[in-house]
Amino acid sequence: MSRKKAVKGKGSSNSPSSSPISDKEKGKKVLTQSNGVVYPSRPSLSNSGEFYDIAFKVMLVGDSGVGKTCLLVRFKDGAFLAGSFISTVGIDFRNKVLNIDGVRVKLQIWDTAGQERFRSVTHAYYRDAHALLLLYDVTNKASFDNIQAWLTEINEFAQQNVVIMLLGNKADATHERVVKREEGEKLAKEYGVPFMETSAKSGLNVELSFTAVAKDLKHKEMKEPNEPKFQLQEFVNKEMKGVGCCRS
Amino acid sequence: MDTRNGTRSSNQPQLRINVPSSARERAASVDPYGFERSEDFDYESYEELMSEYLAVLTRRSIKWSKLLQGKRRVDRNLRVKRFVRKGVPNEHRPLVWMESSGAQDRMERNPGYYHSLLDQQHDPKLVESIRTDLHRTFPDNVHFRRSADPCLQSALYNVLVAYGHHNKAVGYCQGMNFIAGYLIIISKDEETSFWLMEALLGRILPDYYGPAMLGLKADQEVLGELVRLKVPAVWRLMQDHGVMWSLVVSRWFICLFIDVLPVETVLRVWDCLFYEGSKILFRVALTLIRHHQDLILQAQNLPDVCERFKRITRGAFVHDCHAFMQAIFLDPGSLSKSTVAKLRESCRARIVAGES
Repeated sequence: MSRKKAVKGKGSSNSPSSSPISDKEKGKKVLTQSNGVVYPSRPSLSNSGEFYDIAFKVMLVGDSGVGKTCLLVRFKDGAFLAGSFISTVGIDFRNKVLNIDGVRVKLQIWDTAGQERFRSVTHAYYRDAHALLLLYDVTNKASFDNIQAWLTEINEFAQQNVVIMLLGNKADATHERVVKREEGEKLAKEYGVPFMETSAKSGLNVELSFTAVAKDLKHKEMKEPNEPKFQLQEFVNKEMKGVGCCRS
Repeated sequence: MDTRNGTRSSNQPQLRINVPSSARERAASVDPYGFERSEDFDYESYEELMSEYLAVLTRRSIKWSKLLQGKRRVDRNLRVKRFVRKGVPNEHRPLVWMESSGAQDRMERNPGYYHSLLDQQHDPKLVESIRTDLHRTFPDNVHFRRSADPCLQSALYNVLVAYGHHNKAVGYCQGMNFIAGYLIIISKDEETSFWLMEALLGRILPDYYGPAMLGLKADQEVLGELVRLKVPAVWRLMQDHGVMWSLVVSRWFICLFIDVLPVETVLRVWDCLFYEGSKILFRVALTLIRHHQDLILQAQNLPDVCERFKRITRGAFVHDCHAFMQAIFLDPGSLSKSTVAKLRESCRARIVAGES
């Protein structure tokens, strides 16, 4: 099954249930949706006390132990404490507000348990996710082999226009690496999803992965009719850093 | 430290060592179970609480010693039930949990079984999934560090591998690592931990941990129904904001309140769990929700609801485990076994129908 089909037709054709309030719809005061993301008339105060203009729900998915929580903590707090993480049971989320081209974008980032049996509990939450960051661990072949199954699951439960990005995490672990970057790139191309390697430990591309998704989501919501479509992979290619070299 | 101490120590430096002047200095940075106290641990409140609770513990300990009279058997009667609800002294926990759950009986009738499970050829997939979680189980506990001697990670591995081979339908489910970890901390014995695990997953709890997690899903809904009956305003709020119960309470059930409530409170809940059964989990959940309903009802949106459900598991109410345990048997009112059984049946049927 190809991801391309589902990705096509995205852009301005968002279903109302997934579309945050943009400038044009500023009339309403506060609209709370079933997925809980609040789209206020701007500016609004998020739970963490930060003002934001627009909010999106992002989910972290992938096998158990690939580093979803670590990636989130690195992004949220800029920290990585080896050996301080506990396995995630169930589902949890954290907020972070990013400034994207002068617009304050709040990402509500959902962290999920990776073990297969938990999927029957967590896939209910895919439905109103605006973006999914799908992770594998470059030191764990099985987690890479499972990506296909994850994409099938995403196709079944997520919205058609959901933004997906594939991330090969733990890229700092050069000695234990078993999945080459090229293999990740190839798989991503096959399914038509943007890709990059990350490291929650070193911080490599962590900020960028979330920023790129936020940029894409913001662009989709707020772009002028004649404005060209935001090219997520191109943006990522330009901005991302390779492992141990200065690929630009 | 504080200035009073500083001035004094400039004249008589040795006093600093002998006379700790703040609660923080008097209490260890690691609790009796090996968990490191967090940066924001409230030593003052803890000391105040313990000054009263230590008297309770001493009293209970004397009463339990009299009750047991050195016997290795625990009867089942109203007196023992009352004793369990008032707390089992830590030194008697392995015995009382083993006896009251039937685990002792099973262990005695199956000598060598635990070790035979470990001697078997192991399923590599099971082993892999357990290994993934070994270093992610209680990294905040000094006994689970790789540098600890003995390091409880190896006991944890053995208990989980043995259980996974004993109950192949369940295998390993995340959450079981924390439960096995607590059992090892308390019993200090692998085989005892295995049989307690077997009692919990095999008889006391519904099928929380199987691949379909049906028992878990059902119990989350059962709690929802109980909240609808007993705290209807909160139930309506959850409906209004479209909050699924799984979002706020799945950890409560899967981890049996580990890392949700303070350690001492979890252990007190488990005393009743082993003796009385899984109904106690609803009493705890209902008490938390009912006691904090005003706080929950102020929630403005879904994230806010989630945040408040986290907040209600912290603070003085849950730290004072003795008062909390009294509250769970009073606050939620009557909760009959048949009500729970009926709700479990209907919720399960609803979920099965919805999934097919």
